[in-house]
Amino acid sequence: MPQLRPITSGREGIGLRSRHVSEIAATRPEIGFLEVHAENYMAETPAMDRLLELRRDYPVSVHGVALPLGSAEELERGHLARFKALIDRVEPVLVSEHLAWSAIGGAYLNDLLPLPYTEESLDLFCRHVEEAQEKLGRRSLIENPSSYLRYRHSPIPEPEFMTAVARRTGCGILCDVNNVYVSASNFGFDPLAYLEALPIPAIGEIHLAGHHAAEGVDVLVDHHGSRVAEPVWGLYVAALRRFGAVSTLIEWDTNLPALEILLDEARHAEELAHVHRYVDTA
Amino acid sequence: MCTDMSILLELQMRLRRAVLGGDTAGIVAAILGDGLDPAARVGIYRHHAFATLGDALQGTFPVVCRLVDKRFFAYAAHEYLREHPPHSRCLVEYGADFADFLARFTPCQELPYLAGVAHFEWALNIAATVREVTPLEAGKLAAIPPEEAAYVAFRLQPSLSYLASPWPIDAIWQANQQDEMPAVDLTRGGISLQIRRVGEAVAWQRLDPGTFAFRTALADGLVLAAAMLAATLKDPAFDLAESLRQVFAEGLAVASRISPKQETPQ
Repeated sequence: MPQLRPITSGREGIGLRSRHVSEIAATRPEIGFLEVHAENYMAETPAMDRLLELRRDYPVSVHGVALPLGSAEELERGHLARFKALIDRVEPVLVSEHLAWSAIGGAYLNDLLPLPYTEESLDLFCRHVEEAQEKLGRRSLIENPSSYLRYRHSPIPEPEFMTAVARRTGCGILCDVNNVYVSASNFGFDPLAYLEALPIPAIGEIHLAGHHAAEGVDVLVDHHGSRVAEPVWGLYVAALRRFGAVSTLIEWDTNLPALEILLDEARHAEELAHVHRYVDTA
Repeated sequence: MCTDMSILLELQMRLRRAVLGGDTAGIVAAILGDGLDPAARVGIYRHHAFATLGDALQGTFPVVCRLVDKRFFAYAAHEYLREHPPHSRCLVEYGADFADFLARFTPCQELPYLAGVAHFEWALNIAATVREVTPLEAGKLAAIPPEEAAYVAFRLQPSLSYLASPWPIDAIWQANQQDEMPAVDLTRGGISLQIRRVGEAVAWQRLDPGTFAFRTALADGLVLAAAMLAATLKDPAFDLAESLRQVFAEGLAVASRISPKQETPQ
């Protein structure tokens, strides 16, 4: 197994979207790090050159959204090789993927579909995480999903499943606080108990994003298209108190706002982190 | 272990059928209602998959979308997605056969140039997402012994596409870049296009029939003698030396090889 790189922690970051690249390059705002979706940088577009330029001034985190670690078939080697090539070029501070599956039988569904949490799923998922970490030559973070359905046969609670994956594979956990809130709201579980069940040393990053109510049904959907909701900020404070200062990212992928709005959200996250540190040391 | 694995695989195949095809009968029994119809829960994922993949297609084929209007495009994209879900995880690589699908898609028949415009937008997409390679220097060609020159084959820039259409698809595309669409004379006849990446930009140009036949043949890997024959059939006055000089001047060739003699036409 190649040497694992340490995961940094610290300031708040934002998701990098192409519409904001020029403004960030011109104004060089104070941001802890930039996070990109791996699949947006696998083609040879000029966007890659822009990213490498920004990389000189900002730490970059690479967030995979399509390496189907939970798919019940062999990992797609071609995609893994492209992921590795991207990481070699960008040298990110963090690499992450999802507890989900997104492709089966040659069809990529462009969605993070839920797994049943069984021993069989756990074996499969851990094997894929190990294979991915081996190929990528570094430790990854695995993100908890936002879910809109649960399977009848899914005996392992999700945080327990996440914990087992981290323990078995050595991977870290990306705790998406909005996802915890959305799933808790959809299935009526206690989001604080969920956070309590995650292992503190494994937490390598926090995600925050907006959600909305699905059309026509009583379900919250994680859409990354609005400001972080008030109760999610509340849950974020609880996460900070439990996990300590962890690099936090503001995700915003649809209905993109002006860069200033994203920076404002990141500043708010930072203020909360400062307050938290103050409370802790007082 | 093997049996357990196939249970998970079967579950995922059933959910795939529900998400792509809307056939939820095979999956609802495996899903908890939690106060809602399980099919409605699957519908949330289905809606997301179709909306985001449809958006990706619209991003790659904006003029096709404008020509047919958004709602019709969403319908065509939906039908295409069901039949041709993406294989690649990079969505800019999705839609390679969308133009062929549109050519067969009966509701589009009254717009005979639509598939051609889709081919053009796909070529623009390739040029935008594939980097140029260092071109071959003209000196390489001079170094080939004259008796072997007829058997040289080239590899061309990977960003290149050659496209012929009975419709002025480049003019239709250009007209649709403006809010007030100017009239396009559809009777002006067919065109032959070369589309490529130049630095960070995407560029295209119309080619005369001889040059188009010559470069298309080279792009297909034919040897010089065969490419010349194809060009001469289109244009009896085809000038090989000048055409070859232009291929190198434009940096189109990136590698060469001498092909075995039996591959050339008699």
